Amino acid sequence: MIRIIQQRKKCIGCNACVEAFSSRWSMSRKDGKSVLIGGHKKKEIVSIIVGDDEYKENVKAATNCPVNIIKIIKL
Amino acid sequence: MNRVELMSPAGSFESLQAAIQGGADAVYFGIEQLNMRARSSNNFSIDDLASIHELCANKKIKTYLTLNTILYDHDISLMKRIINSAKDNHIDAIIASDQSVLVYAKKIKIPVHLSTQANISNIESVLFYSEYVDAIVLARELSLSQVTAIVKQIKKQNIKGPSGELMKIEIFAHGALCMAISGKCYMSLHTNFASANRGACIQNCRRSYIVKDKEEEIEFEIDNEYIMSSKDLCTIDFLDKIISTGVNILKIEGRGRSADYVYTTTKCYREAIDAYFKGSYNKESIISWKKQLETVFNRGFWSGYYLGKKMGEWTDEYGSKATLRKKYIGKGLKYYDKKKAAEFKLEAHQLIKGDSVLITGPTTGVISVQVEELRVDNSPVLSVQKGNIFTMSLKEKIRPSDKLYKVEEKNII
Ligand code: SF4
Repeated sequence: MIRIIQQRKKCIGCNACVEAFSSRWSMSRKDGKSVLIGGHKKKEIVSIIVGDDEYKENVKAATNCPVNIIKIIKL
Repeated sequence: MNRVELMSPAGSFESLQAAIQGGADAVYFGIEQLNMRARSSNNFSIDDLASIHELCANKKIKTYLTLNTILYDHDISLMKRIINSAKDNHIDAIIASDQSVLVYAKKIKIPVHLSTQANISNIESVLFYSEYVDAIVLARELSLSQVTAIVKQIKKQNIKGPSGELMKIEIFAHGALCMAISGKCYMSLHTNFASANRGACIQNCRRSYIVKDKEEEIEFEIDNEYIMSSKDLCTIDFLDKIISTGVNILKIEGRGRSADYVYTTTKCYREAIDAYFKGSYNKESIISWKKQLETVFNRGFWSGYYLGKKMGEWTDEYGSKATLRKKYIGKGLKYYDKKKAAEFKLEAHQLIKGDSVLITGPTTGVISVQVEELRVDNSPVLSVQKGNIFTMSLKEKIRPSDKLYKVEEKNII
């Protein structure tokens, strides 16, 4: 299992995470920031726990994020 | 001759106050993520527009909102929301380059300044955009004679914007330059996936590099040159030539800079512009302004491309060449109106009578003074130490949100 964490407020809406893994990330047309699909919001942080099979793609999303607001933690 | 408008950067309420104190005629700022300083944590939000307008309208200062990144489909509704809100809050104009913004702003009738990101370099382009914009920020890479020719042609061809007034021309007067044609740089995107055109530039050009011989793998350090890091633009010593081009607006770069930078640069250019129109623009003043400009962030100065001689000047140092450095030493607590005394808590280092300090805050703006008297528990002292709560006499009011800095010459630190 892995935990994906996004500090959504700092997102600059560049689309890089969506390009990396569009099954988990999408762009909101409402505020132009990316949405962690299925994620839960607590204060400014959005997070979700998913299976290991998504590890590689989400690490790519995290690496490509220019403002480093995505973290992937192995549980 | 028309008076030129001085436009200063405001990346925060502190800098906004500093721009006002320095004597700006207009300020520009970004909100949310759709501006070229998206990376900066200081950006205002839509909710701040009303207070920004109120602060500036009181002083008759114009407000311009930058919305000049590349826009994707998913940005369109946010872009419209920002522009609607700007219109509702009486913001004077939007600074933009993407056509979607020009079209929408025209539709809801809010003026647009075409951003330097559009790299306008000839009169035909001015004509093309005149259907949408009332002012154009020319490409920073033009020479003054090219700028003059464009301004002349606007008059000759009577090119007007949607407002029905003659097209205004704006150029950069001071601040950082890009090593590429402004905005047309992909280095940051290549190395870090961080697009400069979405305001996320990581500034690779400001670093030093090693060149490697591929065959023998020998490495050369490029001697003392930051080969891609352009020096900063400074035009104060030929501001007469700048104003003579007939441009309408002069812009100071630096939405990512601190309040003291905004204050000092604005004040110097304010004085210089006023001096020009009063006929007192002279060598002695130029020397003094340049000295003051050197005290705040700079990578060394050059005249940019305006004088058309050199192709580029590169800095020989990482970071700032500012002759003064400020270090954070404490925070504001209270102001005693009657006694005209300000109370602070010293949180680091020590403060000695005679030291120069800088106080900055979102309402206070920038105060720069020399400490004449220090008191602890109402008794005069010569110095205060970390942890002390102390007062100093001060004409201006301070607030609990204020920060206190000690200002020292760079080589002392
Ligand atoms: S990569 Fe980062 S900044 Fe870009 S959209 Fe995704 S979360 Fe936002």
